[in-house]
Amino acid sequence: MKITICIGSSCHVKGSRQVLEKLQALIAENNIGDKIELSGTFCVGQCQKGVCVLIDEEVYSVSPETVEEFFNNSVLPNLK
Amino acid sequence: MNDLCADIGYRSLFKYGEQLCGDHVEIVEQDDNSSVIVLADGLGSGVKANILSSLTAKIISTMMAENMKIEECVSAIAQTLPVCSVRGVAYSTFTIMRIINNEEAEIFQYDNPHVILLRDGANLEIPKTQINIDGKTIYRSRIKLKENDVFILMSDGAIHAGVGITHNFGWERPDIISYMETFYSVGFTAKTLTTILLDECYRLYGGMPGDDTTICTVRIRKREPMSLMIGPPSNSNDCDKMMSLFFSKEGKHIVCGGTTSSIAAKYLGKKLVPVLDYPDPAIPPIATIEGVDLVTEGVITINKVLEYAKDHIGENINYSKWSCGRDGASMIARLLFEEATDINFFVGRAVNPAHQNPDLPISFNIKMRLVDELADCLTKMGKRIKVSYF
Repeated sequence: MKITICIGSSCHVKGSRQVLEKLQALIAENNIGDKIELSGTFCVGQCQKGVCVLIDEEVYSVSPETVEEFFNNSVLPNLK
Repeated sequence: MNDLCADIGYRSLFKYGEQLCGDHVEIVEQDDNSSVIVLADGLGSGVKANILSSLTAKIISTMMAENMKIEECVSAIAQTLPVCSVRGVAYSTFTIMRIINNEEAEIFQYDNPHVILLRDGANLEIPKTQINIDGKTIYRSRIKLKENDVFILMSDGAIHAGVGITHNFGWERPDIISYMETFYSVGFTAKTLTTILLDECYRLYGGMPGDDTTICTVRIRKREPMSLMIGPPSNSNDCDKMMSLFFSKEGKHIVCGGTTSSIAAKYLGKKLVPVLDYPDPAIPPIATIEGVDLVTEGVITINKVLEYAKDHIGENINYSKWSCGRDGASMIARLLFEEATDINFFVGRAVNPAHQNPDLPISFNIKMRLVDELADCLTKMGKRIKVSYF
């Protein structure tokens, strides 16, 4: 699975760094580092949804507070 | 003509307890390649010294820049300066350095510590001839400039640093020379060399300078062009035009902004790869594109660069932060402040629809103002700036 986090200006202001750090921690905790490819991207053009996190091509709206929820609902169940 | 230019940086320490400096540095540019630098030290300290040195520096620099003779400048000052009611004299010492076509320097010195020249890492005593004007002994020199020459102009506060505190007789000129020789080969800018020397004076004075102390460093260096692009063009049909103009420029290329770097990557046919690393948590990560020297985020990064720029032309206390930082803002600061001499800004006026959210601390006006302010600061650092809008 490929997870891409937007690090554009707007998402940065809304906390992409915290989202990235929490995701990295969760991935390490669940020992699924070999199944997930984390990367960054500049603005994906959907700033109002920020912080934008993409699973493959699909855009999710995540904030530092909802990382865990996102991880449990959208990442874990979809792991192959 | 050659491809040299003069990097000039100066700063002063105020005598302890004074709110004004009795030393004054004035720089007048005669043309693109010639300038006149005057460092004057007024008698006494405080308001009186400040007025004497400001008048002296202003008068001499203006007259010299108009190619008037040194004799006329000196007698003009003698006739103009107000006479001190306590001491009965009108007095301000001065050092004049005139850079001619970036090829030669003409130096006139009156009672300030003699100018230090470091050439190829070592001290070189500048040959002087003595002239007398209205009973004043003035030393005149003329010397060919060489790349990497470092000239250090100073007021006597520098050589008096530490008298009776850390040194019995102060910090003498040979001590300053050997201290500064150790920093020669690092390639510091004039402003940084000035700060290094002044910080040492401040330390020797025990934090309480007994006299106004001024250092002005002139470093002869090669011109270094650089280009920075920020923002997509207001008309998206102009992308190719903007890119081809930008990439045809000589020297290093910096691209700022997410959308802008995507356009640049597309134009070059290369991949845009963000680096997920936060050396400074406040600054968004940088990215890489083959063929571009530095790719960063836009407004937040440039805003930080502007903050560093404002500090660099003033107190220069953030130097330790950006001089070795690995974040985008520090990297831009190093390239623009230290490496570049001629900077071309390519500014796209497109309004980013994503930034129109009123909750965000980013607006189109802020972006335009950032570039203007940064260009202003860089001009004050002595850089040649050209801004083109698209």
